[in-house]
Amino acid sequence: MADPLLQVKSLSVAFGGRSVLCGFDLDLAPGEIHGLVGESGSGKSITALSVMRLLPRNAIMAGNIILSGQKLERLGEEHLNAIRGDQMAMIFQEPMTALNPVQTIGDQIAEGIRLHRDVSPAEALDMAARAMARVELPPSRYPLSRYPHELSGGQRQRVMIAMATALKPKLLIADEPTTALDVVLQAQVLKLLRTVVDDTGMALLLISHDLGVVAEMADSLTILQSGQIREQGNAVSILRHRKHAYTRQLAEASTHVPQWKNRGQQASGNALVSIKNLVKTYRSKRTLLPNSPEDFTAVDDVSFDIATGRSVGLVGQSGCGKSTLARLILALDTPTGGAVQIDGIDLGTADQSQLRRARRRMQVVFQDPYGSFNPRMRVEKIIAEPLHLLNRKTTLDQQREMIADALRCVSLSPDVMRRYPHEFSGGQRQRIAIARAIITKPKLIVCDEPVSALDVSIRAEILDLFAELNDEHGMACLFITHDLAVARAITQETLVMHRGKIVERGPTAQIMDSPQSEQAQKLVAAAPNLERALKKRLGQ
Amino acid sequence: MRGLTLGYGVSDRMVTVVSKTRSPKTAWSWFIHAMRNRSFAVGITVTALVVLMALVSIVWTPYDITKLTIPDRLQGPSLTHLFGTDHFGRDLFSMVMEGSRNSMSVALIAVGVGLFIGVPLGCLAAAKRGWLDDVLMRGADVIFAFPALLSAIMITAIFGPGAINAIIAIGIFNIPVFARVTRGAALAIWQREFILAARAAGKSASRITVEHILPNIANLLVVQATIQFSLGILAEAGLSYVGLGAQPPSTSWGRMLAEAQTMMGIAPQMALAPGIAIIATVLGLNLLGDGLRDITDPQTENLAAHG
Amino acid sequence: MAAFILRRFLMLIATLFVASLIVFAVLEIVPGDPARLMLGLNASEDAIEALRNEMGLNQPIIPRYVSWVGGLLIGDFGTSYTYRVAVSELVTERIVVSLPLAILALALSTSIALPVALLAARHRGTSADTAIMTATQVGVAIPNFWFALLLVYLFAVTLQWVPAVGFPGWGDDPAGSLTALILPAIALALPQAAILSRVTRSALLEALSQDYIRTARAKGVAEGDVLWKHALRNALIPVLTILGLQFAFLLAGTIIIENVFTLPGLGRLIFQAITQRDLIVVQSVVMLLVVTVISINFLVDIAYAWADPRLRGQR
Repeated sequence: MADPLLQVKSLSVAFGGRSVLCGFDLDLAPGEIHGLVGESGSGKSITALSVMRLLPRNAIMAGNIILSGQKLERLGEEHLNAIRGDQMAMIFQEPMTALNPVQTIGDQIAEGIRLHRDVSPAEALDMAARAMARVELPPSRYPLSRYPHELSGGQRQRVMIAMATALKPKLLIADEPTTALDVVLQAQVLKLLRTVVDDTGMALLLISHDLGVVAEMADSLTILQSGQIREQGNAVSILRHRKHAYTRQLAEASTHVPQWKNRGQQASGNALVSIKNLVKTYRSKRTLLPNSPEDFTAVDDVSFDIATGRSVGLVGQSGCGKSTLARLILALDTPTGGAVQIDGIDLGTADQSQLRRARRRMQVVFQDPYGSFNPRMRVEKIIAEPLHLLNRKTTLDQQREMIADALRCVSLSPDVMRRYPHEFSGGQRQRIAIARAIITKPKLIVCDEPVSALDVSIRAEILDLFAELNDEHGMACLFITHDLAVARAITQETLVMHRGKIVERGPTAQIMDSPQSEQAQKLVAAAPNLERALKKRLGQ
Repeated sequence: MRGLTLGYGVSDRMVTVVSKTRSPKTAWSWFIHAMRNRSFAVGITVTALVVLMALVSIVWTPYDITKLTIPDRLQGPSLTHLFGTDHFGRDLFSMVMEGSRNSMSVALIAVGVGLFIGVPLGCLAAAKRGWLDDVLMRGADVIFAFPALLSAIMITAIFGPGAINAIIAIGIFNIPVFARVTRGAALAIWQREFILAARAAGKSASRITVEHILPNIANLLVVQATIQFSLGILAEAGLSYVGLGAQPPSTSWGRMLAEAQTMMGIAPQMALAPGIAIIATVLGLNLLGDGLRDITDPQTENLAAHG
Repeated sequence: MAAFILRRFLMLIATLFVASLIVFAVLEIVPGDPARLMLGLNASEDAIEALRNEMGLNQPIIPRYVSWVGGLLIGDFGTSYTYRVAVSELVTERIVVSLPLAILALALSTSIALPVALLAARHRGTSADTAIMTATQVGVAIPNFWFALLLVYLFAVTLQWVPAVGFPGWGDDPAGSLTALILPAIALALPQAAILSRVTRSALLEALSQDYIRTARAKGVAEGDVLWKHALRNALIPVLTILGLQFAFLLAGTIIIENVFTLPGLGRLIFQAITQRDLIVVQSVVMLLVVTVISINFLVDIAYAWADPRLRGQR
């Protein structure tokens, strides 16, 4: 094996006496793609920042980082600035905030070029244009004079890649580069990264929480847990043999399917939710001024039913209108046209008491377990919030008993009632959100990306909980997700949405195995899948 | 009672909850925690002293400031007269005490006016959005064009000078300040998912405002109130300095400075005493505001939680 | 961008309109009979009637308002009752003192505050930062007119470097006039500089905590350039807001400070007018100041769009 491009030896990082990374070693050869996998808090981002020497000031670092013979840990700021952006570059997770909002993308790419190469401003812009063309943003269609806010998330991430690879660094670090993107965009960005690596021969350190993503990309692999290496070596062999218990746990969690007893057998033919020709158009403000933006139709003539007790998935790319549809069903927004009926109540014509009845029968669970609670309320009050929808008066004791029941139902101890939400972990918070949703015994729970903010192992537990609610208590669920693995795990039926329209519907297994519409095929093909990736690579 | 409860089977898998941070339980333990912040500790101490001084002055001052004792006039600071005496022989420390009452009450009432009118308007604008929001915010823009001094000038031109004018003028300017701060913060809260959850639970906009919005912006309003309080002290001093505020025989720090101006050459202590009182009070309030912001800022809370 | 400016301009007109209504209502409608108020209790009915005719108070309210605003638009502010000269003449005479003072103070406070804020942000967390923050914390608390008194005591009374009070006039003694504005400008500028540098520093620190700063560092941009090229431009929005507000405070401050230095500016004019109950002068000067504040805010809005490309697309 040739001399490694990057050598990390017994790297340790601590913040204020708390160790977050301990004895990390890594050898990376030119042209190699190394996957660094771990859940939140495993120290994977800290590793990346250590290599770049961009750790926050209060971090204490020990160990060696050698990039093409240079001992980075010994270099001063000035020296490091000469290396950063030239010999090593980094791409971050959040494309929406990683670009300077007040500078054109051309200037931002050119800035790095001019720092490291002795070129004129015009030449730098020229090189920036070529870098843009490499990431499939030809400057003829995406001029360099654009500002970041004029681009979508996927395009911004391409700009980040163009910026990082403009000078063809020897090492590229990508920290969860696709986590903020939907599956289709994710597949495109990953393909792009692969092409860039193949073309330039740079080494790529790819950080991800998703074994499926890494399985498709990486030559070698490190599994990191709580700042320590659990397994390191050839990617295919680690993923195939899964020697370490934690590797096994991660792999199983990412392909987890809950145990079902009835799997929607008890679903009756009655339509619990009935949607007819639903349309939602956002009108642009009419002004006397020119260039007023056009109307935007987020939901375009959508009709479907959800039978009592069914678990239905609603999948599509970001911006396809699925969240708007959810808001219409929950009566949080009024449709422009068409009708929504919940258990026989037409939301459009319902009076106050009918609306209360409808709301009692449907509740909601959101994606972000951190943002979905009022931080100043105790758990008790949070869960009790929907109780005022009940018609009968309840005493405090009765309420408390109902809250305790809801908590037990989501496997939390009733003792937690007096606590505040910040005292809980992400998975526990999502349980509290579910407890709030089920306290009125609704017939339908609408879940907007309920597990996509959670670590894979916790994701599996929450999916089990949803399956149990559907399976044993007959609650119908509408799962809004861009993640087909979630849809496959817990839904019986799937709706595929694209640009405001339902383009395909059918039994989940059928859509996953033989998608008919173009959009469904795209989604299925793009979804990272550990087993499929392994099979493909073993076949090679 | 069982009939009323959910009646779902109790799951045997219990998730153990580990408390990450301990939330302060009582006001007193919160205070002890807050006193670790240096800005807060200094700020609250100074503010408390000034408030105490203003309260004590209602019943007692070292000397009677309505009595003129010409033989004692223009003395420098000493043990008998802490800050010295003015050109009528009045004790400057006693006058500063009396003045504190005037300055503080004007600034305090003006903050009250701003809070009680501005906050509901801001909440309304954030909850209703649309044309009402536009109208209220454009109205705030218009009022912003009238600094307290201009309002005071207009009111004085019509009704003649007086402390009430200062209260009205400063209070009017505080209204759009609080309305804007409230609206901005409330809008951010309205975007949060827990508001959607509350709406899905069928709660009305007014109930959401009371239960969810106000508790979450209260910190910010308290901080803003201390800032407006300190600005009010400065504005009141300026107004009564130019004769638009408190009128004789009542005294205020600004009036004391106006009197000191002509005596500057021979009795600089007359300007120093009220000036230092103003600076100490404003500094105390600003430190208090900074401290409160540091303590209640969710960002610093997060930093503490995530190490 | 053009649409943005046009929209802001329409808002400017609307704001001016409402503000003029307020000034008119407070000074001409609230008093009931302004003529009686101006002349006081001892005036004869004939004199009051004569003033009423002169001021056009016998006309209905709407034509009165229209002719007042119409006059303002062509620079006719009416005739001062006490001075017996056109108000526009009085104002022009005085504004050449007040406006240079306000501008000088703004320039001074900005040129002090920005370097101080950059310095503090560059060395955040060090003792230099702490010292700057402590000094500005005290500076914010100092009333400018009290600071002016101290300056007078120190430089005019004790050191006798400059005359304590008075203003020779631009025509007679330009250099002396400028000298006469220096102490007032410093008195106005320093407390404002303290506020401005605090706001700028915290805006810079906020910008420095953003993701795009990490991106810039990953590109190899040096710390100084990170601050200067990336953070400062993004920090400008809150800084511009404060600058707009500060101009209003500086105008108000000018009016007060002119009293300390007995400068013949708008402030002196308006206080004399209040004492003499010359409502015509009060009304004109207040309106003039309100128009200035609103126009400055309009310019700040335009500057926002220059500083932040995201606003340009908005209407």
